[in-house]
Amino acid sequence: MISRSLDDHLPSSSTAPHPLQRNLAPHLHPFQKPREYTRAMTAVKMDRMFAKPFVDALGGHQDGVYCLGKDSRRVGIVAGGGGDGEVIVHSLTLRRPLLKIPNAHKGMIGGLSWTSESSDGKRQLISVGKLDGTIKIWKSKAFTPGLREKEVFKGSEFSHGLGDEGAMHLDEAGAIGEEGYQFDDDEEEEGGGLNIDSNKRDKLGENLEPLLTYTNKNGFNGIDHHRTDSIFATASNTVQIWDETRSNSAISNLQFGNSLETVNKIKFNQSETSVLASVGNDRTMCLYDIRTGKAERRIVMQFVSNAISWCPTLPTMMLLASEDHNLYTFDIRNLNSPNQIYKGHVGGVMGCDWSPTGEEFVSGAYDRTVRLWNRESGKSRDVYHTKRMQRVFDVTYTPTADFVLSASDDGNVRIWKSNASKKLGVISTVERQAIEHRQKLIERYSTEKGIKSIKERRHVPQSIHNATKLKREMIESRKVKEDRRRDHSRKGREKPKAERKKAVIVEQK
Amino acid sequence: MDALLASAGPLQPNKKNFSKGKSSGGSASSSSNNYVKRNGSTSHQTITRSDGSKIDASLNSILGSTRIPSSFHQSNLASGSGSSSSQIKPDQSLNRIQDKKLKAKLQRQDLNFKQSKLEKNDVNEWLNKAVSGEKGTIEVDEELGEKTWRIKQNEIQNSVGIASSKKKFDLKLENMGTYKIDYTRNGRHLAIASSKGHVATFDWQAGKLHSEIQLKESVRDIKFLHSEDFYAVAQKKYVFIYDQNGVELHKLKQHIDPTHMEFLPYHYLLTTVGHAGYLKYHDTSTGVMLTQIPTRLGSPHSMAQNPHSAIIHLGHANGTMTLWSPNMTTPHVKLLAHRGPVNGIAVDPSETSAGRYVATSGMDGVVKIWDGRMWGKELRSWHVRNQITNLSYSGMGMLSVGGKSGITIYKDLQSGNTQHSPTPYLTLGLPSLTVNSIKFCPFDDLLCVGHEKGISNLLVPGSGEPNFDSGETDLYETYSRRRERDVRGVLEKIKPELITLDTDFLGKINESRGGETYDERNSRSFRQLGRLERLRVNGKADEPQSIEEEEEDDDDDGDGNNAQTKEKVKRKMKGKGGSTSRYLRKKQKKNIVDNNLLAMKAKVAAQKKVEDTRRKIASGEIVKETGALARFG
Repeated sequence: MISRSLDDHLPSSSTAPHPLQRNLAPHLHPFQKPREYTRAMTAVKMDRMFAKPFVDALGGHQDGVYCLGKDSRRVGIVAGGGGDGEVIVHSLTLRRPLLKIPNAHKGMIGGLSWTSESSDGKRQLISVGKLDGTIKIWKSKAFTPGLREKEVFKGSEFSHGLGDEGAMHLDEAGAIGEEGYQFDDDEEEEGGGLNIDSNKRDKLGENLEPLLTYTNKNGFNGIDHHRTDSIFATASNTVQIWDETRSNSAISNLQFGNSLETVNKIKFNQSETSVLASVGNDRTMCLYDIRTGKAERRIVMQFVSNAISWCPTLPTMMLLASEDHNLYTFDIRNLNSPNQIYKGHVGGVMGCDWSPTGEEFVSGAYDRTVRLWNRESGKSRDVYHTKRMQRVFDVTYTPTADFVLSASDDGNVRIWKSNASKKLGVISTVERQAIEHRQKLIERYSTEKGIKSIKERRHVPQSIHNATKLKREMIESRKVKEDRRRDHSRKGREKPKAERKKAVIVEQK
Repeated sequence: MDALLASAGPLQPNKKNFSKGKSSGGSASSSSNNYVKRNGSTSHQTITRSDGSKIDASLNSILGSTRIPSSFHQSNLASGSGSSSSQIKPDQSLNRIQDKKLKAKLQRQDLNFKQSKLEKNDVNEWLNKAVSGEKGTIEVDEELGEKTWRIKQNEIQNSVGIASSKKKFDLKLENMGTYKIDYTRNGRHLAIASSKGHVATFDWQAGKLHSEIQLKESVRDIKFLHSEDFYAVAQKKYVFIYDQNGVELHKLKQHIDPTHMEFLPYHYLLTTVGHAGYLKYHDTSTGVMLTQIPTRLGSPHSMAQNPHSAIIHLGHANGTMTLWSPNMTTPHVKLLAHRGPVNGIAVDPSETSAGRYVATSGMDGVVKIWDGRMWGKELRSWHVRNQITNLSYSGMGMLSVGGKSGITIYKDLQSGNTQHSPTPYLTLGLPSLTVNSIKFCPFDDLLCVGHEKGISNLLVPGSGEPNFDSGETDLYETYSRRRERDVRGVLEKIKPELITLDTDFLGKINESRGGETYDERNSRSFRQLGRLERLRVNGKADEPQSIEEEEEDDDDDGDGNNAQTKEKVKRKMKGKGGSTSRYLRKKQKKNIVDNNLLAMKAKVAAQKKVEDTRRKIASGEIVKETGALARFG
């Protein structure tokens, strides 16, 4: 006979937890699958309900923002280059400009990059002009607000007898949020610092003189800094390598054969740091090695690429943002065909950037949307848009992979969450477990129709929606025509060509 | 550049020497060596002891201070099924998968699945087993001619402990009519309702009365809803819902003249059927009537639910049993079960059955056991002498057959010689009383019987499931946990669309694309094919046929739902449902011959002739006339 003792089943004291008995036999847990499915449905609905990706818009630009300069060693800072030659260094944590340089260049800014100094206080900003053909290196203590004056120059050539101790590294560098705000009244900062007086800040920006200026006959379209060395590369009608410690002309010019093409963007590889890749106006992507000073190989594609990015974790993987609305990943060991084609945008893709994890990337396009992608799947994971965001010209991931920044024509740098429904702030263990459980459930049932439709449904503006529809119809009719042509031609004459084989026209060595 | 290419080159193949060494050792030792340090030189330092032996510092530092993850424990599992855990391997059929990542993922899933199955078995073996004997049933000396069914209730009561013997109690409520009873899902609370309108609910273990009301009209059935807080009563004209204090909350006007009720706890559906034979599903969480289905078989004699699939079973006067879900207006199964009205249906909820076996009884005095996977023939049938009125299954799969002046209880009905009528386990006499309602108490060895003179509780050792799960049904539920369960229950309410005969259908691939003609099917170009079809064309499809076969082999402990037959895809042919043939059929049915019909018939005949000739020409039976006169046929 069953006889249960209350001693086993009631709590031993008033504060003790209620004793639980488990029996995992399936006959005591009926409807396991339907119940789990219902839970997954709730989870996926919650996920969409909490999807609020937009964090903030950083204003201050008088014209559109056409390039972003991410400091890959600092989380809280980004520089934006405007169409009127203005450079603004934004603080993401304070959400306001730290420094405005109104007339950094005459005309549009071509690109922005930070130097590779290991200490925040010594890092400099390099900007290139698209029209005036100058490179300017800027330095200001406003770049590192919160750093005390002594600390700023400790270990640098400006320090007064403190010596080069190398103590100023990233960890102790006093980036914002690490040391907290320092609103010291007695410590008068001239417009920099955290207690930003906007008038002082503007005055500081106006009076700021570049540390160094290089001039060139042609305008620059892009710039990228070497990961560790004091070298940077620029993209104009050729690829030029510069040394920031020398104040004369470029140390070398790189070009593929005798081709005279305008180079649009340029990027150094993050692992094999002397390799760099460029995309050019002749629909090309070219690889260079600065040790040999040669262009190694080049591919010509169907359409011109607007941006390029190296995967931070897979050294041979690169991403191209193409004018044909697609993105392509290439393994540079096999440049004949892309690894994966990423379709979804309905305008030329203007910018792309990998997540620091190398699993995801972000892209911004001329169709006024920002899309987020998984490396493994050709469909976008998420699409971000707002009513006021105009054409997106550059996007970047923050170094912590939590946020995505987009620079658009309307003169704003926008901060988005990289995971739309992720909760910001401290999460308790219980909550985290619940979140993980929900994610697992969604993943498990994501192939089911009801869950899939909720998970993948995104509201997009009418214009994008219509453009997508139109594009789909056009492609479909093109394919139907191809089918018919194949039906009425001799067998084997018109073989279908794989989509991946179409992208690259020729590989040159 | 070249350095980059070289650094990203393919990984060097593994050195073979490790696997060789492994294969030379015994299989048992090799498997346990998986997480032990491999022989060979290590790059890190070792500490030389005084006796000359060396200690690997890093290994010992871990062993000394940390717990090895339980997944690494292989030797400490007890004997029995536990020892086999070291031998689990992913399914062989997965080796065919080309994609390495997919293969690894599926293998990991398969291993997890097998591991959890073994662990579950271990838990059942070591924790959930009865302390004494096989299943806690009565054991007698068979050689001396002792029979379990000769044992009387007072003998059982005298030999069990005080706590158990106290559970046997009778409520004498004479001249109140016959009683219907219902338990909550955890078996804590009992509701009784007499045909003359006496309704009471109480916590029978604590002896605490919740509510007692006199309705002064005939009551036909009573059912608890999702918890003991609410219960539904099928009264003379409508169904009413009362709360724990006996306050009338709702009058369900749509349920007219109800005779039987069932409540589906995971779907929050109250199901009733009345004299008119309408099966009605009412959502109790939203108060919306879901569907009303006419059974067209008159007033049903019995009703039961399958607790594992939420399918409603109805027994009818003409001897048929029908299976219903809210998603179909026709029964899933219609079964001629008996030669007289079907007056008792019970579904076996026990571990071996999990809703698969169904027992029915008819006025013809026969009890039949059916297998839900194959309704063609009963598994077992036997005659019972007293007029059967009621059937009930216990949590351990015992079947009680209630009739006039007594109850017979059977066990192990699916095993043994199914040709003979089974030997009863216990017989319990209720002299000069007819069983009106009979229920085993969930999670207890108790049988409750409602009859003309109140209710009686009878001790049936070994009938109840001893190990409850407090996450599902907690016998000792506190107030806060009940509130939590109420909220979670509503959040996880299953949609009624998911009630199906096959409970395992969710998450399977639905391959059939019905409703397309031959032309549509064959005119699609390669690009328009689905992924599976494309793979099939390329010869790369991984047909699941062989996998299923293998799975059935090692699934001997039986989720038998796998043994489903391949669904036939209905192919539509062009021209079958055309307007012409429909027109002709209609006309011919009405037997009207007019000019239109004649003209149409002539047209069809001419078409047929042309078609015939064309076919014959194609097959070479006749030679196609060529020449100037060919055009005249």
